Amino acid sequence: MDTATEAQGDEAVYWDPYRPDIGENPYPTFRRMREETPLYYNEEYDFYALSRFADIESHLGDTETFSSARSDILEFIKEDIDIPRGMFIWEDPPLHTVYRNVVARVFTPKRMNDLETQIRDYCARCLDPLVGSERIDFIADLGAKLPGGVIGMLLGIPDEERDVVRERVEAALRTETGKPMEVSQATYQGEGYEAYLDWRAKNPSDDLMTTLLGVEFKDETGTTRKLTREEILIFVNVIAGAGNETTSRLIGWTGKILGDHPEQRRHVVADPALIPAAIEEILRFEPPGPAVARYVTRDIEIHGQTVPAGSAMLFLLASANRDEERFPDGDSFNVKRQGSPHITFGRGIHSCLGSALARVEGRVALDEVLKRFPDWTVDVENAKLSSSSSTRGWDTLPAFTR
Amino acid sequence: MVKITYIGSGGEEHVVDVDAGRSVMRGAVENDVRGIIGECGGSCLCATCHVYVDPAWLDRVGAKGETEELLLEEVCDLQPNSRLSCQIDVSDALEGLRVRLPEKQV
Repeated sequence: MDTATEAQGDEAVYWDPYRPDIGENPYPTFRRMREETPLYYNEEYDFYALSRFADIESHLGDTETFSSARSDILEFIKEDIDIPRGMFIWEDPPLHTVYRNVVARVFTPKRMNDLETQIRDYCARCLDPLVGSERIDFIADLGAKLPGGVIGMLLGIPDEERDVVRERVEAALRTETGKPMEVSQATYQGEGYEAYLDWRAKNPSDDLMTTLLGVEFKDETGTTRKLTREEILIFVNVIAGAGNETTSRLIGWTGKILGDHPEQRRHVVADPALIPAAIEEILRFEPPGPAVARYVTRDIEIHGQTVPAGSAMLFLLASANRDEERFPDGDSFNVKRQGSPHITFGRGIHSCLGSALARVEGRVALDEVLKRFPDWTVDVENAKLSSSSSTRGWDTLPAFTR
Repeated sequence: MVKITYIGSGGEEHVVDVDAGRSVMRGAVENDVRGIIGECGGSCLCATCHVYVDPAWLDRVGAKGETEELLLEEVCDLQPNSRLSCQIDVSDALEGLRVRLPEKQV
């Protein structure tokens, strides 16, 4: 029973990223926030939040006021954790700039499209054994396997080691339902990859690990050098960590949303050219990373209020994606939607490095699923939704196929 | 305000008034023109604001910087008249500019 949102009818709007009841359907709450409190303050957890598209797009670009240097996760900003050097997602310019430029030319549209055949083969291996069965699980059978496999492929991790890697990362980043992340989870520095790094250094190949070992770059002091061993391990940790659960969530939401919207799914089955647009609309409708956080470095006035220096600010991307100023009829799922792009991957210098990879994986996975299973309904009773402060999506998404 | 024409991959034309000083990328995403993503917000990092500049305009949109030269190699379906539209600033001299949008950015 939706007591949380019912009770809010006459009361001041309340939102936090932890409560499972809100996480089930946060969109009515987001709508109220956009309308009533576009700058929202949560007293219990002491954070501010922006919910309108225009505010989020413009303030995300202000990296001086809204710093990433204390991480982009609410709990860690409050704790003032140590950020290992080279963890560029949690650095500001100029450090962020030099590191991001090292990897920017690896995760490009062209190079990610070059992986398409391998990604397709991987999907086929996951899905072929299920053909003819009456049930599939979008997570257990695909979402839990494909992203980790592809990252492993990119990094050059041998096939037989990839599951081990994925499990280690998942375990490190999992949170208990309804609770914030533990600070110790922020300090995982990818030590588990040392063995692969050493082996790959002696056996160079055409992969990201080899690239990272050999690349020369100009650091923030102007010195041209290679990455240190620690920096490589951090990079690998960031990339592997960031690309696993999020992409798995995308696959889960694909199963849920297209299961719940059969007419939309039928449009895509009838015209597979709609698949990329369907993935964009799935990303908009249910972003795997619904919010990102920043540390506020100076007092700033927004909507007539002062957000004091030292605050944590949440940018509610999932709310921005429903803002009717930007997305007419935003609460409708429509694979034929025209108009401006969503903000699921963020905006600006910290926008998702892996977005091209996520898109290619998402569309290939959907294509391969629809070829084998053009029709399904979600087994709602056995589907499990989970929310952390950084991702939101399905841990299991079983479906009845026909 | 400068009139810029964005031609979608299906041939549909969108004529948009863009403020001088805004990039061709912003002219699209701020005016509901589908077909340009521009996730990095104009930081020349993501290569998802790819356009084909009408040959009649190619010499008039300004030269490519080094970062754009390198990143342009990473777009889908590179052509001789390919540019990253976040690196082309609109000015009165570009009144009537025509750009064609690629079939896909990613």
